Amino acid sequence: MATIPAQSGNLASFPQTRVHASEKTAAIPWYIWCATVAATSATIGGYWDISWHESIGRDTFWTPAHMAIYLCGVLAGIAFGYLILHTTFAKSSPLAASSVHIFGFRAPLGAFIASWGGIAMLTSAPFDNWWHDAYGIDVKIVSPPHILLIAGVYGVVIGTLVLLAGHMNRSESSHAAGNRLILYINGIMLVQIMILLMESTERIYLHSLLPYIVTAALPPIVLALSSRLTGYRFAATSVTAFYMLFRLGLILLLPLFPAEPKLGPVYQQVTHFIPPDFPLLLIVPAFALDLLWQRTKTWNPWKLATLSGFVWVSLFLAVQWPFATFLMSPASRNWFFGTAYFFYALPPTSFMARNVFYPSSLTPVEFSLGILCAVLIGTLAFRWGIARGEWLGKIKR
Amino acid sequence: MKPLRLGAPLCLLAALAHAHVGSPDIYLEGKAGPYQLFVTVRPPLTIPGVAELEVRSESPGVSEMRAVPLAMAGAGAKFAPIPDSLKVSPGDPRFFTGSLWMMTSGSWQVRLTVDGTQGQGVLSVPVPAFARSSKRMDLGLGAMLSILGLFLVSGLVAIIGAASREAKLDSGQQPAPANLRSGRKATIIGAIILLAVVWGGNAWWNSEAVDYSRRIYKPLQMSATLNGAELSLQMREPGWMQANNVRLAAYRVFTRKMDDLVPDHGHIMHLYVIRQPGLDAVYHLHPEQKENGVFRLALPSIAAGLYKLYADIVHANGFPETMVAEMDLPPLSSRPLTGDDAAASAQPWQTSSAANTVFTLPDGYKMEWLRGDKPFAFRLTKSDGSVPSDMSLYMGMLGHAAFVKTDGTVFAHIHPNGSVSMAAMMLASGMPPGMDHSAMNLAETLPNAVSFPYRFPSPGRYRIFVQMKHGATVETGVFDAIH
Repeated sequence: MATIPAQSGNLASFPQTRVHASEKTAAIPWYIWCATVAATSATIGGYWDISWHESIGRDTFWTPAHMAIYLCGVLAGIAFGYLILHTTFAKSSPLAASSVHIFGFRAPLGAFIASWGGIAMLTSAPFDNWWHDAYGIDVKIVSPPHILLIAGVYGVVIGTLVLLAGHMNRSESSHAAGNRLILYINGIMLVQIMILLMESTERIYLHSLLPYIVTAALPPIVLALSSRLTGYRFAATSVTAFYMLFRLGLILLLPLFPAEPKLGPVYQQVTHFIPPDFPLLLIVPAFALDLLWQRTKTWNPWKLATLSGFVWVSLFLAVQWPFATFLMSPASRNWFFGTAYFFYALPPTSFMARNVFYPSSLTPVEFSLGILCAVLIGTLAFRWGIARGEWLGKIKR
Repeated sequence: MKPLRLGAPLCLLAALAHAHVGSPDIYLEGKAGPYQLFVTVRPPLTIPGVAELEVRSESPGVSEMRAVPLAMAGAGAKFAPIPDSLKVSPGDPRFFTGSLWMMTSGSWQVRLTVDGTQGQGVLSVPVPAFARSSKRMDLGLGAMLSILGLFLVSGLVAIIGAASREAKLDSGQQPAPANLRSGRKATIIGAIILLAVVWGGNAWWNSEAVDYSRRIYKPLQMSATLNGAELSLQMREPGWMQANNVRLAAYRVFTRKMDDLVPDHGHIMHLYVIRQPGLDAVYHLHPEQKENGVFRLALPSIAAGLYKLYADIVHANGFPETMVAEMDLPPLSSRPLTGDDAAASAQPWQTSSAANTVFTLPDGYKMEWLRGDKPFAFRLTKSDGSVPSDMSLYMGMLGHAAFVKTDGTVFAHIHPNGSVSMAAMMLASGMPPGMDHSAMNLAETLPNAVSFPYRFPSPGRYRIFVQMKHGATVETGVFDAIH
C-alpha cells in the first residue's frame, strides 16, 4: 500500500490527478474517522458476537459483542445526525456548498447513507428481538432482521467510503493516506460480506457449487471498486489480505479467552471462544486479478469484467477445492487452521463434526454449468464494481 | 371389521397436546438429596425460548439453588452448560425462581442442585420442550417498525435520487435540468427496485413463518376402530420432527419415532375412555402394542355413548405424548375389568355440584377431597369411616388422577409426584425407563390419602377422576371443581 501508481487510458483518470497533485497531505476530517471507527466496531462486534453465540450461546442484549455492533449504529447516528443538522442549519458550514439535498436537509451524500445505515441497525434491534420471541430462530445468520442489521452496517461502511471519496475528490492535495483508508474500509467491507457468506461457505460445502456462486457475486464488487478507486497496483491483494489476516487473527486470538456454554444442549465441549472457519483463499485469485488489471488498463470494461470473472472463479475453484480437502484432514486440526474448534451445539452426527463434505446432488455436467453461471455472475459483479469505482472517483459531494 | 353404529370408524385429529392436553406446565414433588422440593416449570411457547422455573423447598436450610438444562439422553446429556443460580424470594427464603433457555425441541431435563445446611442434593425434572405457537406482533411495535421501515425505504429512495442528481456536481454548482432528470429517473428506478426488495423480504418472512409453523408441535394422530368388542388404535405420524432428508438426518438430534415406546409404570399405553358430554363414565385401560403404531384391546363391558379417548405414551427418550380420538360406542357386554383396569360412573357434571367433597364408591367405600393445604389431596375410607387396612399401590403409586376440563380443552394425567411420566423420571435419574413398577409394593403400611401437585391451567369447570387401590380393588372417585 506504499505507493499509488499512475494509471493511464480509460481505466480511471482520477487516480492520476491524485498522484500528480501536491504532496501536501489532506487532513481527513473527524467525521470520516468517526465513521471508520463505527465500521470497525461493527466488524469486530459482528465476529465476536458470532463467536459468543457459538461458545456461550444466547445471552443478554448487553454483551460487549452486541455493544460493539450497536456502537456502530449509535456512532453513525450521532456523528452524521450532527453533521446533517450542522450542515443544514449552521450558516458557516464549510460543507454547505458540497452537499446534496434530501427531505429538506443538506449534507455530504455519505453522511445520509451512513445515517441511514445507523437507523437501519437500530431498527433491526427491536425487530430481531421480536423475531426471536415469535419464531425463536437464532442459530442462523441469514434471517430478515439480521439482514436489516447487516444492511445497516453496509450502509455505514458505504457511507464512509462515499464521504472519503467525496472529500478526496474535492481536495487538491495528495491522497496517499486517503487511499490507504479506502483500502482499509474496503477490507472491512469484504470482511463484513464474508459474514453474510459464512453459512454458505463453511468448509463442508466447499466441494459443492454454492460457495463458488456466492463468492462470485459479492467479493468481486469490492475488489474491482478498490482497484478502480485507488488505482493501487495490488488493491485486490491488499483487501483480500486484510480479510485473511483478520480471520487468521480471530483463529489465533479468540481461543486464548475462556468461554463456556450457558445454554444446552451441549454436544461439543467448549472451554474457550470458538473462532470462525479458516479464511477462504480469495487472496490467490485476487493477486492474479491485480496482475491482470495491471496489464489490461486500456481494455473495454465489459471485456475486462468477463475475463476477470473467468479468472476469479476458475482460480478460486482450483485452489480452494484441494485446500478444502486438506481442511477436512486431521493435519488441519491445530491452532493455526483451527478446524478442531466446534460450536457447542454442533451435533456429533453433523457433517462438520464428522469432517465430511456435504454431498452434492449435481452431476459433473450440472456442476460445470453451475460454474459457468458463477463466471457470469462474477462478470456482472466485476462490471458493477468497476462502474461504482469510477462513480466514486467522480463524486464531489 | 364391524363398523361402529353402522357407520365408518370415527377419527378426529388430536388437539394440541403432549403428555397432557392443554396443560403444558410441569409440576413435580421430589427430593433433592435431603431437601423436599415442589418444582414448577413453565415451558416456553417458542423454541428456542425461555422456560420459567419456580421451586419451593419444603425443607429448611436451603441456601442456594442452581439449575441447568440438559438433554435427557444421548450426546446432549454428556456435557452441561454453566448452571444458572435461582433467585431467592425476598419475602420467602424457601421460594426460588429462575429462567432457562430451551434451545431445541426434544426431551430435556432441568437438573436442580440444592446447597444448604444438610449438604448438597440433586433433582432432575423431565421437561418436554416443543414450540406451541408463534407470537403475533403487537400493534405498538408493528406501528413503530412500519414507520421506521417506511422511513428507511423512502430515505434510501431519496438518497439514490440525490446521488444521481447532485453527487458529481462541483461545490456550489446548481443542478442543471439534465441532472434533475437524471435524479428523477434514478428515484423511480430505485423505488421500483426497493419495492421489489420489500416484496421479496415479505415473501421471505412468510416463508420463514411457514417453516416455523412446521416445527410447532403436532401430536401423533390416532384413529380408533371397533371389531366386535376389540378396540384397535392406529397411530399416524403427522410429520413433526422427522429426519427425512440428508441434512436433517445429520443435524436433527431429536426426532420422533413410533417404534420406540417404553412402558410407563408397567404399560406401554394408558388409555382413558371418557363419555361425552357429561364425563359421567370413565375407563382407565391398557391396550397392548401389537406392532409399531398399532394397539389392540378387548374392551370390557361399556355403556353406549360418544367417548373421548386419551392415550398416554412415552418415547424411549422420555418424551411423553397424549393422543386423542373420539368414537361412538355401542353398548358392549363383554369381559369384566381385570388387572390394572379401572372404571367409574357418576352424575353428569351438568347435574352435579362442585361443592360435593365426598364420593361414595360402588362397594360402599368413600373417597373424600380434603381441600386442605394441598389443593388436591384425597382420602379413601371404608363405609364406616375407618382406614382400610389393605391399601395397595396402583401401578406403583398411591394413586392416579385425571383432570379433565368439561369443554374438552384440558386433559392431564397426574401422579402423586406430579405431572411427569415415571418413565421420564427414571431416565432423568439414570435408570432404564422401561422398569416395571406394577409388581413393586411396599412392606410397610400404605397411607389411605394421596395428593397430586397440580394447578388448573385455565379458568373453567373441571372433573377430577381419582384412583386409589385397596386389596385388589381399584377405586375411582369423581369430583367437580370450578376454577
